[in-house]
Amino acid sequence: MAKRSASVSAKSQRVHVISRKDGWAVQKEGNTKASKVFDRKEAAVEGARKLSKGHSDVIVHKKDGSIQRWERSESNP
Amino acid sequence: MNSSDLDFSRNVFINCPFDPEYIPLLRPLLFTVLFLNYNPRIASERFDSGEARINKICELIKCSRYSIHDISRIRSKKRGEYYRLNMPFELGIDLGCRLGEGILQSKTCLILEKDKYDYQKAISDLSNSDIKSHNNDPETLVFQVRNWFAELGMENAPSATRIWKRFNEFMADFREAREKDGFKDRDLEFMPAPEYINFIKQWIAVSAGQTR
Repeated sequence: MAKRSASVSAKSQRVHVISRKDGWAVQKEGNTKASKVFDRKEAAVEGARKLSKGHSDVIVHKKDGSIQRWERSESNP
Repeated sequence: MNSSDLDFSRNVFINCPFDPEYIPLLRPLLFTVLFLNYNPRIASERFDSGEARINKICELIKCSRYSIHDISRIRSKKRGEYYRLNMPFELGIDLGCRLGEGILQSKTCLILEKDKYDYQKAISDLSNSDIKSHNNDPETLVFQVRNWFAELGMENAPSATRIWKRFNEFMADFREAREKDGFKDRDLEFMPAPEYINFIKQWIAVSAGQTR
């Protein structure tokens, strides 16, 4: 866990695609509100990629919160 | 109030299946209880082949003011398969325990079902009880558990939306940290519940100083 806290600043830039009742939310880690909510997951993933601009990891979750795909950023290969 | 009374008032007995099919619901359930600063108590928290399971369950029920019973998996799925009776059996023990003396009379429970009123077909004695349904949806389960604690008077409970978001972030950290330690997908899927609970506790402790 100590290693994890050392990487807080990099971690806080992650962009998550999270299942929600009203669709698929694109949410930056550390933000309280979703950047945008999409009807379709594929559109949400695309929205997350645009938001990250390749500078932060995009983490795509399954409906149960587990990880479906983890797209590493250029700075975190 | 002594320390065991304090433990009693934070302990939540979790009565649910522990098979792989239930893991998508078990994970957010345990996370939500811990995130709300309660202490989940489950039958698999210690494994001792020499200890009678029923004794352990009765002990956990007696030391927990709160209980969450998920009876959504009691139905047999195919011809010839037995009805699963452990969950309603433990629910019965818990309800009976309220007839005890002292703090046992303050016990309270949440009963979860997949679909509203499904339980009445199997346990009609629970008719008119306030039973919540989660529709096998992890986010709905978080919503129901969080709202139950809020209805019991918990102050400043974070929103279900916030808990769900933090759970998803936790799952990312969980995977990343475990992968660094050499864990593979299979290790993560079948990780024993006590190990998983400990990881959540550590994560929440680290998060407390950040943006919990």
